[in-house]
Amino acid sequence: MNDALVIPLLICAVGTMLAGLFVATALGARISTRAMGWLLAIVPAIAFGALIAQSPLVLAGQTLSWSIAWIPSLGLRFSLWLDGLSLLFGLLVSGIGMLVVLYAGYYFAPKHADDAHGEDGKSHPPASQDADARFFFYILLFMTSMLGLVLAGDVITLFVFWEGTSITSFLLVAYKSKDEDARRGAFRALFITGGGGVALLAGLIFASSIAGSTSFADIVQQGDVLRASELYPVMFALIALGALTKSAQAPAHFWLPGAMSAPAPASAYLHSATMVKAGVYLLARLHPAIGLTDLWFWTLSLVGLATMLIGAYVGFKQNDLKALLAYSTVSQLGVLVMLIGQDTEIAFKALVISVLAHALYKSALFLVTGIVDHESGTRDLRQLGGIWRAMPATFGVALIAALSMAGLPPLFGFLAKETLLATATHPNVPPIVDVIFPAAAVAAGALILAQAGLIVFEAFLGKPKAELHPHEAPPPMWIAPAIPAVVSLAVGLLPEPEALATLLARAAAASYGAPVKVSLALWTGISVPLVLSAVAVTIGAITIALRGRLRPLFTRLSGALSLEPLYTGALKAIDGLAWLVTRVQNGKLRLYLAIMLISGGVIVVTIGRLSVPIVAPADFGMRPELAALRVFLLLVVGIAALASVRLRRDLFAILALTASGLSIAVLMMLEPAPDIALVQVVVETLTMVVLVLVLTRVPREQRERAFEFTFRQTRPGLIRDVLIALGSGAVMFAIVMTALGTRPRESQVTPYYEQNAKPLTGANDIVGAIVIDFRGFDTLVEISVFAAAGLAIYTLLRYASRKAGDRDDDIPVLDERMLPFRGIAGPLTSPFVQALARLILPLTLLLAATHVLYGHDQPGDGFTAGVIISLGLATWYVVFGYAETKRRLAWLQPSLFIGAGLLLAIGSAVAAAIIGGSFFSPVDFGKLMGLGFLPRGVYFSTATFYELAICLTVTGGAVLMLDTLGHPKDSDAETTRQMDEIAALRRRGEVTLGEAPASDGEGQQLPAEDKRPEVLERES
Amino acid sequence: MEVFVALTISVLFAIGVFQLLRRNLIRSAIGMAIVSNAINLFLLAAGAYRGEVAAYANQVGQRSDALPQALILTAIVISMGGFAVVLSMLYVLSVRYKTSDSDEVKGLTH
Repeated sequence: MNDALVIPLLICAVGTMLAGLFVATALGARISTRAMGWLLAIVPAIAFGALIAQSPLVLAGQTLSWSIAWIPSLGLRFSLWLDGLSLLFGLLVSGIGMLVVLYAGYYFAPKHADDAHGEDGKSHPPASQDADARFFFYILLFMTSMLGLVLAGDVITLFVFWEGTSITSFLLVAYKSKDEDARRGAFRALFITGGGGVALLAGLIFASSIAGSTSFADIVQQGDVLRASELYPVMFALIALGALTKSAQAPAHFWLPGAMSAPAPASAYLHSATMVKAGVYLLARLHPAIGLTDLWFWTLSLVGLATMLIGAYVGFKQNDLKALLAYSTVSQLGVLVMLIGQDTEIAFKALVISVLAHALYKSALFLVTGIVDHESGTRDLRQLGGIWRAMPATFGVALIAALSMAGLPPLFGFLAKETLLATATHPNVPPIVDVIFPAAAVAAGALILAQAGLIVFEAFLGKPKAELHPHEAPPPMWIAPAIPAVVSLAVGLLPEPEALATLLARAAAASYGAPVKVSLALWTGISVPLVLSAVAVTIGAITIALRGRLRPLFTRLSGALSLEPLYTGALKAIDGLAWLVTRVQNGKLRLYLAIMLISGGVIVVTIGRLSVPIVAPADFGMRPELAALRVFLLLVVGIAALASVRLRRDLFAILALTASGLSIAVLMMLEPAPDIALVQVVVETLTMVVLVLVLTRVPREQRERAFEFTFRQTRPGLIRDVLIALGSGAVMFAIVMTALGTRPRESQVTPYYEQNAKPLTGANDIVGAIVIDFRGFDTLVEISVFAAAGLAIYTLLRYASRKAGDRDDDIPVLDERMLPFRGIAGPLTSPFVQALARLILPLTLLLAATHVLYGHDQPGDGFTAGVIISLGLATWYVVFGYAETKRRLAWLQPSLFIGAGLLLAIGSAVAAAIIGGSFFSPVDFGKLMGLGFLPRGVYFSTATFYELAICLTVTGGAVLMLDTLGHPKDSDAETTRQMDEIAALRRRGEVTLGEAPASDGEGQQLPAEDKRPEVLERES
Repeated sequence: MEVFVALTISVLFAIGVFQLLRRNLIRSAIGMAIVSNAINLFLLAAGAYRGEVAAYANQVGQRSDALPQALILTAIVISMGGFAVVLSMLYVLSVRYKTSDSDEVKGLTH
């Protein structure tokens, strides 16, 4: 265990949050983009430093690891480890990340006013500030994923970060989201790497189940077992699919050039140094475990070889600088994959050298391309030329990086090419390919050199173009790519850097599975590779010289070997399938419901192992008069429900439903289950009230039409529905009979509750104890859901329903005959009813209070209390009308009730946690505070507060429902008008955000005041 | 008796399904309430004990099973909330589409 390993990841996560803060808050607007770049570059710098601090141990040959239990029930651990390979990649990720973030600050900074080349808007980065903060957020998110990927010590941990890089790279490629090409490129990249990711997950799970562990340390030890397994080919194919698609190998390489719509810093980071090497990293990591087979050799060698050649060939004909770099990256990735396929020491030496060399020169070149694009307005080779005069520093950087890319001495790239050629000519290469390998390597080398030449000669040298007005970039912008470029030079020129050589040797050894000697000496005497290298340089030089004639030829001989047609074909097929499926879905909701019910029934019947006992389940002894009552009630339940079908008026159907529900309440009473019987009664009543409220909102002619199609259904339709209903009923019968016939007669759980309710919670009411104490957290979620339902209704009816430009006269005006007692607007309700309503509300409050206080010992609970209060209030709405109720009951603020209730619940639970040791643990606060005068049976305990909280929340939620559904629409129009006025005022700056009556509270009271004189008149 | 309870539950369920399949959205809402009643009744019937007294710690005798009751309590609350949301959607549909016919409610591009 080495806790310091977490630091790089942790700091990246913190940095991401900081960048997220810039996006999400006004803070981002106050900090300039450049300052943001400097500030956030500290994050990778710390990560880099933290890795460097660990490096002495790694260089000494240790492997550091760290892990915590993640999902212990699945045996999953979140683990990190650091060996040479991880360290090499980790340093690249954090080091280049630092430069990229710094660079991005300048890249995205608003352009100077004196820039004359602002015509081509497309290639320009967006100038908006929050867009820049978004970039930093994404890039740091990506950095966190990438660092996690290379530091992962466990296949599942690796996979999670792997997917993280796919998703964040999607966000980065689609960064200019208004650009269709960017979106398409991003989707293509995600489609391919994401699809590969699925295969990879399967492959990794195969590997870890064969090896018996998800940890890399164990999997690498189990190499022989893995290779011997008969599942090896499947596992290898899946893992290779994941790794090769990620690393843009042919024939799936086409996503990488497509992803060049990403901003330059993102391309420099993702598409040269880090993400595309994730596949290479994984293959290198797993080489000791699943490598060393013929399958491995041939797959990787041939795929790598093909990719190397395709990338080198196609890249040479590109005109877009970034596309050229993308294809040369594809080519280089092919080289790396091919190297991993070889079973020779020199191959792994070449691998690590190439990884480092390529990351250094390619990130520098991508960043330079960004500068060229940024400062001259284009990155098209046909439009560029002679810009070296205007930007000498950038040119210098580009020249060094291009020389390294070309593989010329004394740069680091030369060493990479030398070792590649040495691998290709190694005696271990099978005789069938011992000519092809070196020839391909030479050809690719020559073409890559030619590509590097294109950058130098076509973009920077040559005849200056009149229409270009290039500028030199601000120093930090070119210093960022200068650092990797200079490093590639320094590694070549300086005498053997000991630490770097050791690092590379450790990395190669971790991948090869045995020690590898790495020396960084450029000159090793005349050898076959050197001769081949000279050949490659000569061919490359000739290619450059003849570029004017060769490139058109290359373009004509288009050899775009790729899966792209397959990809577009697959997308088309998916679209076609969607079209077909949506033909079947005709939009009739009833059809969907019927299909769901039928298929649900079929599934239950076929796999449910239903067994309807032929002999009825054993009956409990029951007193005959109770049994008779029960049968009677069951009959009432069924008949009332049936009546709701037959009754023609909707109102009567609703009443029948309520009758059925209330009979169930009586059945519950007979159980005997008084708690739920109470809840059932109040909820059934509230349901009825809400249903009737909605009913009054549906215009009469609509309901008359509804009557037509409800009762004049065609015979076949009726038969179909009856059959579905009967079928569902039959399946339900089978389920119930199976359940009742096979249920245990002795509960496993209930006795625990029965025995512990009193001693542990002090509750007499066992049901209450379960709801409030044993499953208190459940109840908290439950009341939150209820409150959310109230809020959802409020939002839906007040805002969502009128977004689409509904006019106010669209809203049905109440048919006043439907609700004659509608208080203000309708005829006045009788004084007797009014007096009754006045009397009812305090009574309900009193009743609610007793429920809250005694709920733990007696039937009833906070929920019942809340619904009872709501019913009392509903009476007021009915009797006094909406506005008048609002006016008289100013204290009734449903949202406030909800908030207070939830806070009280959480607060008392936290207080209980502090005193009693666990969330919602029962604590008698009254006793603690010495409130001895409380009457018998009344406590101020966690439960009491919780009941009160439930009561408040439920009242809030239910009142919100009544409020919204009972809101008279004519005054709603008024509210809308007022909201519009407020919005207009706000626009003019006369009302600030804080003081404006944004919520319903004040907005609704105004109409009430308008109408008040009228009411008084009537009352008098 | 249990066969009778099972019959009632399945009849309730069937009626609920039938109502859900009506074109009239108000009837569908009623159907939903009936289905949830059926399920609550099922939960109640699934208790392991046939109680003689209510589930209170101070009661002597065979207590009714407290566990399904607690589950029903939660179920009632949640279905009430869900039901209210469904109703408000019904209302919005009635305003937007000028109909309470579920067959006319399609293609939310209105």
